[in-house]
Amino acid sequence: MSFLSEVPLEDRLGPLEVFQKGLGFIPNLIRAQSLLPRVIEAQAIKERAISLQEGALSRVQKEQILFCIAANRQDAYCAAIDNHVLRALGVSEDRVNDLINNHRRADLAAADVALLNFCLKLGSDPASVSSKDVDLLREHGFNDQSIIEAAVTTGLAVYRCTLSIGLGPEPDFESPKFPAKPTPAAPRSLDHAHPAPQEKRPYVHAPYVSVESFAPFAILHKSHAFIPGLFRSQTLRLDLIAAEIESMGPILMPQDILTRSQKECIMLAVSAANLNSYCVAAHCNLLRGLGLPAEEGDQIAVDHHQSALSQKDKVLLDFAIKLGARFADFSRADILELRALEFTDKQILECVAVTALNNFVNTVQMGLGVEPDFEVPPAFERNKVYLSAAADRLIAGASVVRPSTAAGDDPDADLAAAARAGNLDAFEELIRRNSRPVYRALAAILGNEDEAQDAMQDVLLSAFKHIAGFQGRSKFSTWLVSIARNTALQRLRERRNDESLDERAFDDDRDFRPRQVRAWQDNPEQEYTQTEMRQLVEKGIMALPGKYRVVVMMRDIEQLSTDEVARQLGLTVPAVKVRLLRGRLMLRECLSPHFARDVRRVGQ
Amino acid sequence: MITCDEFFTEFGDYLENRVSPEVRKELELHLSQCRACHVLYDSTCKTVKIVTDSSSFDLPQTVSDSIIDSVMAKLRADKA
Repeated sequence: MSFLSEVPLEDRLGPLEVFQKGLGFIPNLIRAQSLLPRVIEAQAIKERAISLQEGALSRVQKEQILFCIAANRQDAYCAAIDNHVLRALGVSEDRVNDLINNHRRADLAAADVALLNFCLKLGSDPASVSSKDVDLLREHGFNDQSIIEAAVTTGLAVYRCTLSIGLGPEPDFESPKFPAKPTPAAPRSLDHAHPAPQEKRPYVHAPYVSVESFAPFAILHKSHAFIPGLFRSQTLRLDLIAAEIESMGPILMPQDILTRSQKECIMLAVSAANLNSYCVAAHCNLLRGLGLPAEEGDQIAVDHHQSALSQKDKVLLDFAIKLGARFADFSRADILELRALEFTDKQILECVAVTALNNFVNTVQMGLGVEPDFEVPPAFERNKVYLSAAADRLIAGASVVRPSTAAGDDPDADLAAAARAGNLDAFEELIRRNSRPVYRALAAILGNEDEAQDAMQDVLLSAFKHIAGFQGRSKFSTWLVSIARNTALQRLRERRNDESLDERAFDDDRDFRPRQVRAWQDNPEQEYTQTEMRQLVEKGIMALPGKYRVVVMMRDIEQLSTDEVARQLGLTVPAVKVRLLRGRLMLRECLSPHFARDVRRVGQ
Repeated sequence: MITCDEFFTEFGDYLENRVSPEVRKELELHLSQCRACHVLYDSTCKTVKIVTDSSSFDLPQTVSDSIIDSVMAKLRADKA
């Protein structure tokens, strides 16, 4: 028996056939997931696409990768299966023993040694992989299709190992003997956490594939309003992208065991422990889309113990981080600790599967050098150095680090501290410095300048009343503007305006199409005075529906970055982008009669 | 060449200069050959520039000062 309870599996269960046909047996690792057949389905999709068929790499090459990574991690369970499969594929016992002891001494072609070097580095210290490692593969004749497959196969190895460590299945076969002293994983170098910015990324060629021409992209675009760079970087291997996207669904989408938020928190915390900036940025974004404040996502990335999560959820994240990033210390006792907190075996299984999936994604992203889709939370970037040491202490049960937060470079920090202590002069200076964004936030939401001026007084009084509650977790200006925004929203509700600013469903930008198709003049501004231009713009913006108006104001008038707008509004970056584009196009429609060619000035 | 629908899907990111070189190449090829999309692109860029340069919604200093003065007078009176 594995760590968790099991139920008998029906032999006719579809995903089981994948293993029965591909391997000739059902591994105990699969039976250990019997409480949630959909999790088995996720693994079956991956195995079928990656390990169980010839691809740009041969089955033997891929099995050697899986075996060497399992052996390097001293994962007796996975190494035993891979040993069995290698032998079935015709690899000699001597070769297998050489692979375990030192693959460089095995009777392998130079290209295969280079391939294993790359995959072992990626599997044991992914943050250290750079474009130079990929170039080395190219020098040995590997093309970009096979390099993608190598990264994905390594991801699969890490996925399997995470499952086997977390679930503790009974061995299917006797494990080969590991050498007495395994090659220790290279220590985490902090230089690796900050790769050279000039590096070309991603490391592989990624031809353009449109959302319209590839069904998995269309599905992602519909649900998330964007295609992550992780997938755009693999467009030479649409078969692998399709399998990766398909296999995520059964683990991440259902809400019957763990909630979406819990799963996203697991992936955020484990990615942070793995120093994976790409995934930290992605999950912070997704969590915002689920309603979690931006600061809370940052806090989970830096140190979830200091977050507002429940104690039970914090322990769940401790469990996942240990399994995903400090697996050598993981044991059955960790399962028992979750059970003692009344987590069910299904919940624990799902947590293990989410952690395994996270490690798959972390590995593939690092292997291909995919650029973050969103701004990486500055608090996380600053704390990366600290984090790599902190996670060890966290597992040891010692004190947790106190993170510095986004407020670290707040120019208003000193004044805010004085104002908190009751210094009215400091407060006056603070509000004089920040009155402009407050006014714009009010005008943007209320859509009426007189009312914005009227509301401004309420906002400033309210800010003073609540200044003791300003903890410095965000910049003072952000905090003040959020009061303005809440005040404006309250006023909107009071006047029963049915304009909704915060509906979270994605707008489909394709149902809005521009109607004005006349070309504009070369220098449209020259026709109008500065005052006239300002009036035209203000009129156009005020006529926009609220949810577009707010985004256009923040991005184009206040000139905040798209990421900052998303943070402040508690929206995902893709949701902001959709609203921004639509708002800009609506404004364009509105301005077009004034600036199109061959039209006289309106009113003349 | 990509279609107008495909161009439109990437349009927002293109305006924000957030597309990969591969995507940019496709979009620029399309723009060079499709008048309707070129007009859309050109006029939207101009819209953004006009809005950005317009100094709109600047609260006049006198109005801002008077609101802040009145708030501070109230706070100082409450404190006293």
